[in-house]
Amino acid sequence: MALAGVVITFLGFLISVMSLGMTSSVGGRMVMVLIGIAVSLVGIIGVINRAFLKNAIWRK
Amino acid sequence: MTTVKKTILAAILAWGACVAFAQAPATPAAPPPAPKAIMDTDLKSVDTPKADDRLKGDPGGTMTGTVADVAVGDAKKGLTVADVLNQVGQNKVAINFIWTLVTGFLVMFMQAGFAIVETGLCRAKNANHTMMMNFMVYGVGMLAYYLIGFAIQMGGVGGNGNLGGVNPLNTEWSINLFGKSFGLFGQHGLFLTQGGTYDVGVMVLFLFQMVFMDTALTIVTGTCAERWKYAAFIVASFIMGAFTYPLFANWAWGNGWLANLGANFGLGKGYADFAGSGVVHAVGGLTALAGGIIIGPRLGKYTREGKPNAIIGHDIVIVLTGCFILAFGWFGFNPGSTLGASGNGNLRIGSIAVNTMLAGMTGGFGAMFYMWLRYGKPDASMSGNGLLAGLVAITAPSGFVDTIGASIIGLIAGVLVCLSVEFVDKVMKVDDPVGAVSVHGTNGLWGVLSVGLFADGKSNYGGSWNGVNGSVTGLFYGDASQLVAQLIGIVTLIGFVFTFSFVIFWIVDKVVGHRVSAKAELEGLDLPEMGQLGYPEFELKARPVGANA
Repeated sequence: MALAGVVITFLGFLISVMSLGMTSSVGGRMVMVLIGIAVSLVGIIGVINRAFLKNAIWRK
Repeated sequence: MTTVKKTILAAILAWGACVAFAQAPATPAAPPPAPKAIMDTDLKSVDTPKADDRLKGDPGGTMTGTVADVAVGDAKKGLTVADVLNQVGQNKVAINFIWTLVTGFLVMFMQAGFAIVETGLCRAKNANHTMMMNFMVYGVGMLAYYLIGFAIQMGGVGGNGNLGGVNPLNTEWSINLFGKSFGLFGQHGLFLTQGGTYDVGVMVLFLFQMVFMDTALTIVTGTCAERWKYAAFIVASFIMGAFTYPLFANWAWGNGWLANLGANFGLGKGYADFAGSGVVHAVGGLTALAGGIIIGPRLGKYTREGKPNAIIGHDIVIVLTGCFILAFGWFGFNPGSTLGASGNGNLRIGSIAVNTMLAGMTGGFGAMFYMWLRYGKPDASMSGNGLLAGLVAITAPSGFVDTIGASIIGLIAGVLVCLSVEFVDKVMKVDDPVGAVSVHGTNGLWGVLSVGLFADGKSNYGGSWNGVNGSVTGLFYGDASQLVAQLIGIVTLIGFVFTFSFVIFWIVDKVVGHRVSAKAELEGLDLPEMGQLGYPEFELKARPVGANA
């Protein structure tokens, strides 16, 4: 699960970098970069952290 | 005719004469004399203080620092115009060397501030361990950076006019993507000798950049404090100083792909991070978040239902003293990032210093009033964190914004740090004893973003930034493309730096193990990890976790 989170987090970065080659409009790039930021945040907060919370020390 | 009438008549006549004279065609002025070139022979006639007068001393300082002090290249020829020009050039570089070195010394002293802030926010039973991490991160980071990190970060920066060139740092390793060159890491500067880097300018640059890197490393020790195995701390810090920090710093400051987003893709002036809200603080804060997730919370931090308990630090006096030391050091951090005080628009240092102090002030107010309104008391540690949050946030925009922008950025940072601490603590359930993720991570990202909003287009550092002519200008002043460059920097921090740090921390966890034993954690890390108590003559009393008194 954490590994999937790592992949998703990195995917957000790749989406944003791809915006540089896919469009030259400022608006288009901004939308893609914002999507990339959202994907990366989901990867960290929604997937990686949640995976670690399942086995958190305070649950034991 | 009465006296009054005579006076009025005289005044009218005088006024008329003045008007007539003013409207009369002016006599053509004589053409200015043609400029006369200064020859070597002219320099021979410049008076020098007499030897007899010098023997009497110079209490007024009028005979010290004259033409007699200009270095002569050839004694047979005597003083020449070339000698004078060389002295002017050397004076400029000397001013910039001194400026950069002294501000670097201020930044180095911030390590002391971090050390006592973190130690004060931890419990007395871990004082020795927390101080030792902050003390040795200086040496561990420096070694890693000297051996590897500096070359990766600055090995391809390609020159700096303020510091006399640093010409040997000219080899950047790049790939080709979308038809453009993407600089990824530098290749000159290993051991400060490889690639001709035994150079006075390179040495100054190394010192200044090294203390910045160490600032990023010491952020992580705060989040992982009170349960981090000392050996794991050493290994993780070395890797961060050698690779994690230098990679992103190369992309932003070392002629890497982020810096060239303007030149290659027309995005403003490229990623602009004046003194490192992103490079230093967000890198440190996001690495701390990765470490905090993997290492897990301290025993007793959360109930079985996941409700957070407050674990109070042992000395608020040294916490706030440390905040003051950090605020003092920040006058090196931000104004020093011009890498010079003379030439290339560097007199902007006055504006940068004032922006820094204003944002710290509004950050402290923002946090204090937020806590006061929400919880009924002006929380001391959060007020300190608010000051630091304001300083972190203004670090990237300090060279590009006016005082109003700086004040707003700091105020938002002060409130943001409180909201972020609550989110990290209650929603993410990541235990961060000192609030480093929120102070440095969240507000580092806010600082990067704020450049794209508040940069006023008035700064002028030699007429260009990142190789693009003009001044850095944010969305509120008409350039939306600068905001896109900043957002790409933010996603690189979140998507790449966090991921990289997370993988490194995970590997270190598997190989060394991050977490001390439960027994050691409950006893306090001073004896099990360091072999000595921080306060050996104090009687340490166990206090129920969550108790405030």
